[in-house]
Amino acid sequence: MILLFLTSGLFLGWSLGANDASNVFGSAVGSRMVTFRKAAIIASVAVIFGAVIQGAGASDTLGKLGSVNALGGAFTLALAAAVTVYVMTKFSLPVSTTQAIVGAIIGWNIFTGNKTDAGTLSKIVSTWVTGPILGALFAILLYVIIIRIKKASKIHIFRFESYIRTGLIIAGAFGAYSLGANNIANVMGVFLPSFNLEPLDLGLFFLYSDQQLFLIGGLAIAAGIITYSKKVMETVGGNIVDLSPEGAMVVVLAQSLVLFIFSSSGLSSFFVRSGLPPIPMVPVSSSQVIVGCVIGIGLYKGVRNINFKLLGQIAIGWLSTPVMSGILAFFSLFFIKNIFGIDVGYKITDENLQTVTATVYSGSNMSLIFKYILLGATASGIIAALLYYLFERKKMKEFRLAEKKFWKNMP
Amino acid sequence: MALFTRTTKNLIIRIDEFFDNIDLGVLVFREGLKAYLEKDMDTFERHLHKIDSLENRADKLQREIENEMITHSILPQHREEVVKLIDVIDEIIDSAKSSLNEINIERPDIPAALNKNFIALSEASANTAAELVPAARAYFRTPYTVRENLLKVYYYETETDKVALGIKKIIFQEMPELDLARKNHLRYIISHIENISDLAQKAADILSGMAIKILI
Repeated sequence: MILLFLTSGLFLGWSLGANDASNVFGSAVGSRMVTFRKAAIIASVAVIFGAVIQGAGASDTLGKLGSVNALGGAFTLALAAAVTVYVMTKFSLPVSTTQAIVGAIIGWNIFTGNKTDAGTLSKIVSTWVTGPILGALFAILLYVIIIRIKKASKIHIFRFESYIRTGLIIAGAFGAYSLGANNIANVMGVFLPSFNLEPLDLGLFFLYSDQQLFLIGGLAIAAGIITYSKKVMETVGGNIVDLSPEGAMVVVLAQSLVLFIFSSSGLSSFFVRSGLPPIPMVPVSSSQVIVGCVIGIGLYKGVRNINFKLLGQIAIGWLSTPVMSGILAFFSLFFIKNIFGIDVGYKITDENLQTVTATVYSGSNMSLIFKYILLGATASGIIAALLYYLFERKKMKEFRLAEKKFWKNMP
Repeated sequence: MALFTRTTKNLIIRIDEFFDNIDLGVLVFREGLKAYLEKDMDTFERHLHKIDSLENRADKLQREIENEMITHSILPQHREEVVKLIDVIDEIIDSAKSSLNEINIERPDIPAALNKNFIALSEASANTAAELVPAARAYFRTPYTVRENLLKVYYYETETDKVALGIKKIIFQEMPELDLARKNHLRYIISHIENISDLAQKAADILSGMAIKILI
């Protein structure tokens, strides 16, 4: 039953993987510089690592916005966000998982009578605007550096392209890691207060309760990447391919940097130690950051016809997505509570603040289930990687033989 | 990653070798025609064999470059243009070889008075192609210098047209002693020589567009 509640989060994770992986590897796959299979494997592994290692920062902020204290509530919020993302994608409207989940949390706050922390909300909303702007600035800076290096080194176009190809893979892996680190909060953030699992001893290190949830969420994102992102990469990614290969790499790198900055607590601590204000740990929309990056390069190159319609759509998305998701969450919570009689959460007051942790789902059985899921996923991953390697090797062997035959028969 | 590096290195070597062949081929064509005009048939034959092997090698390199670019998905955005450019440049050496072969088979009787003009024509035409090679090489390393390199190509192409027109005028207006068949034969040979510069100009036009596209 508990795992059933997680399915909505997993569905949200799956749709995030299917949609947002194209921001990371779309340009590389769309331009056929990297094969989809290679991109999917790298992105899946990196996204899981990012989620497990660095996913906590952005999740804390979402927790401050609304501490969803019942599993039924978390399930409903994730479902409302997922449905919003699905419907808006269906109608080709720009959508962000981040904005959908934020709207859903606010919907929960209103439904349960909890107060929405205005400070946290303004912090989150401000990053929706600063994210794309920061992306544009990073993109311009990186683009200028790369172009100057290219011009000064007089490097052969093929060699440069080979470096860019490698760069696209590395930037893509970094992007996927940052995506996992930043956006796992959207997928699993609402479930965190409801789970308290035993730490999982993996020999070299422990996986704590949050990390186990992030791992499951990361696996769902990876499943989205592997099963459904190919089509999105080849179509949505095609919009970015208009850029030169170095432009595409810069866009991915700049976007990854923005996502990384908004999810790195280490960097934020460093800022504080240096006497600077801390960086807010907030999940940002990778799709909107990438649009900022592309516009940044366009501005640098002196492109006059900036797509203001697209900018307008993003601005509308900032408002329409959370509103739609919030309304959907509110009504869904109403139905789930009153028709199915499932606990969706309650108002947190000073009196019951201490009891919040007592309602969490814990126990060794749950931890055991998670352990088996983890083992199963790892084993499937190793088998899939092995099959991929063997398949690639066979393909290369056949190709080499065909080449040899071709040149032998050539007059 | 190692595969990319090896493929890239091989491709760079092949492209350089291809351009070397074109450079040499154009030089051999010029010297071959000069040897024919000077009635030095041994040297002419030697040059004929040389251009034949250069053209065969260029053809093989062209196929290898095209093949590797497609199979390893090298430079996907500009691949078609690069392949087309290599194809058109290869036509230059094909045309040079075919011209020397035509001369060898048909043995045109070129009046001694026109020797200097024919040498000037072959030099102008060969220079057009010779100046194209550094421009094409520049595309791969310093694309922003391609267009200034192409200026010389267009200059020599115009020169070739002028020289060819001058020779045709002499043949048809100032040499009544030549019969029409001989005049036509000479015009045919002139067109063959001129064709090299025309192909170089065609390649220059493609290259010029490619240079703009890669810089945007």
